[in-house]
Amino acid sequence: MATNEQATATAVDDGDRPVVELDNVEIVYDRHFLAVQGVSLSASEGDIVALLGPNGAGKSTILKMISGIGRSERGEVTRGRVFLRGEDVTNDGANEMVERGITHILEGRRVFEDLTVEENLRCGLYRQGRRFQFDEDDYQIAFEYFPQLEDIMDLKAGYASGGQQQMLVIARALIHRPNLLLLDEPSLGLAPKLVRDIFETLVEINEREDITMLIADQNAKRTLEIADYGYVMENGQIELHDPADVLVEREEIKEFYLGTSSEDSRYTDIRHYKIRKRWT
Amino acid sequence: MVNWVTLIDISLSGLGLGALYALVAMGFSLIYKVTGVLNFAQGQIAMVGAYGVVIFGTATVLPAAIPAWAAVLVTVLLGVVLGLALERVVFRQFIGEPVLSVIIVTLALGSILEGVIFFLYGQNAQAYPEALTFGGQLSLPLGTSIQAAYAVAVAIALVVVAVLMLFFRRTVTGSILRASASDEQAAMVLGVSIERTIALAWTLSIAITAIGGILLATSSGGAAVSIENTGIIIFAAVVLGGLDSIPGAFIGSIVVGVLQELGSYYLVGGTAVYVPFTDIQANFGAGFGEILPLVLLLVVILVKPYGLFGTERIERL
Repeated sequence: MATNEQATATAVDDGDRPVVELDNVEIVYDRHFLAVQGVSLSASEGDIVALLGPNGAGKSTILKMISGIGRSERGEVTRGRVFLRGEDVTNDGANEMVERGITHILEGRRVFEDLTVEENLRCGLYRQGRRFQFDEDDYQIAFEYFPQLEDIMDLKAGYASGGQQQMLVIARALIHRPNLLLLDEPSLGLAPKLVRDIFETLVEINEREDITMLIADQNAKRTLEIADYGYVMENGQIELHDPADVLVEREEIKEFYLGTSSEDSRYTDIRHYKIRKRWT
Repeated sequence: MVNWVTLIDISLSGLGLGALYALVAMGFSLIYKVTGVLNFAQGQIAMVGAYGVVIFGTATVLPAAIPAWAAVLVTVLLGVVLGLALERVVFRQFIGEPVLSVIIVTLALGSILEGVIFFLYGQNAQAYPEALTFGGQLSLPLGTSIQAAYAVAVAIALVVVAVLMLFFRRTVTGSILRASASDEQAAMVLGVSIERTIALAWTLSIAITAIGGILLATSSGGAAVSIENTGIIIFAAVVLGGLDSIPGAFIGSIVVGVLQELGSYYLVGGTAVYVPFTDIQANFGAGFGEILPLVLLLVVILVKPYGLFGTERIERL
């Protein structure tokens, strides 16, 4: 079965080949702790794909296994495969994934607090240790989308506001020049106005820089507004998936994530929406 | 009445001594900041650096001596190699292990290095090659003066500190080193290899510690076992500066150096010290100056456990 699937993946034309593709993936942490089970998802070139679901559903785990950072936390893909443009990258380390053009923006605005904003951006220039020197032009792409950062270059990043820190981590990732950007909870703890601004900027980046994005967020409404396709996770499994405009209209989503339905029901009621296996 | 010229003299040599300590202290902080290891072998590493020049620059162990400058170069290079080897062979095994076991390993490492030096030279001081001893005094304004050997050592120490600071502040690699210390995972997603960063930290640390040892030796005319004590004195300096702050280590070292010199001069045996505003006279034994930094260490730990510039961590019990 596995070989069959691989054959299909390699047979596909370069243009149609998804940037990232998970095939029936199971992720186990610490050899015992089953975090994610039977997840299949894919993101095509230039898409924004939303990964939705409550806390602990396994969204971050999936992003971490794609970027390879999960390996350093003793996570492992024990079943299924991860493909990047058709290449099997299952269980590869973070360094290898960075080299392939993946940048992961971790949850919780992880700026380097002791470093200034400028030094934070400078760290984005580091790729496999080849860079030593830098000049101001390297920051241009950051200022293009986040002009506010230019005014606070000498500020210690730890003292920047939440919004500025979120902009900073996205800007730092942009300087890193990825072709696939993984964003973990970019809206967490930010004022609605800021979330709107940042998501608008993400769309702009997606369109102009041709960066495919996979966004894990609890803010389903906002994320589906900018996404092309959406997956809804629950307890380590994908419960629903559809194009974003279809997903946003589905009753279950309205009820449980958007809160627009008046009817009172429990999530367990929609358990029968099992994922169709996309590979068969 | 205080003799001002002497006071300035002593303070100056204290500042100088502090600058020398700073190299060893910064080596300590660098390792702690990046890897979380408290390296209690710093003093011994500095001593090995000091004796390295004797080993290569004089014909005491090796059949022939190489030129003094080459001996210094070889010693520093060996420091780099030692740093890489220690990280690869010893400390990499201890990533994720309890802090205590790593501390014990550094203590053992210190004893091993000390043993090697004692085996080669006993506990005797060894004179440095002619080219590395500078006689005479440099006159400074206001009638003060400083020993030439000291001045040279301090000047070199300051250059090394400045280069190090520029490296940390102005280069991508230097920023990455600080970034990894601040958030390892966030650095990893930018393509930083943590193993490489740790290896770089050890290499840099041991190289500058060795330079510190060499300069401490040049400033006093030769390598001596007493350089080993630097290990505990710089501990006072880094605790004052805040364990994980590299500029803090520098400033702490300066304070400790001045304190030690003033203490050694004004509080030595036989010198009667009047406690201010009283008739009480205090006498201190020889070598009291070196105790002062440790008294300071005690006070700092009691009053300000995170030092002047250290990161305060909230620990929940």
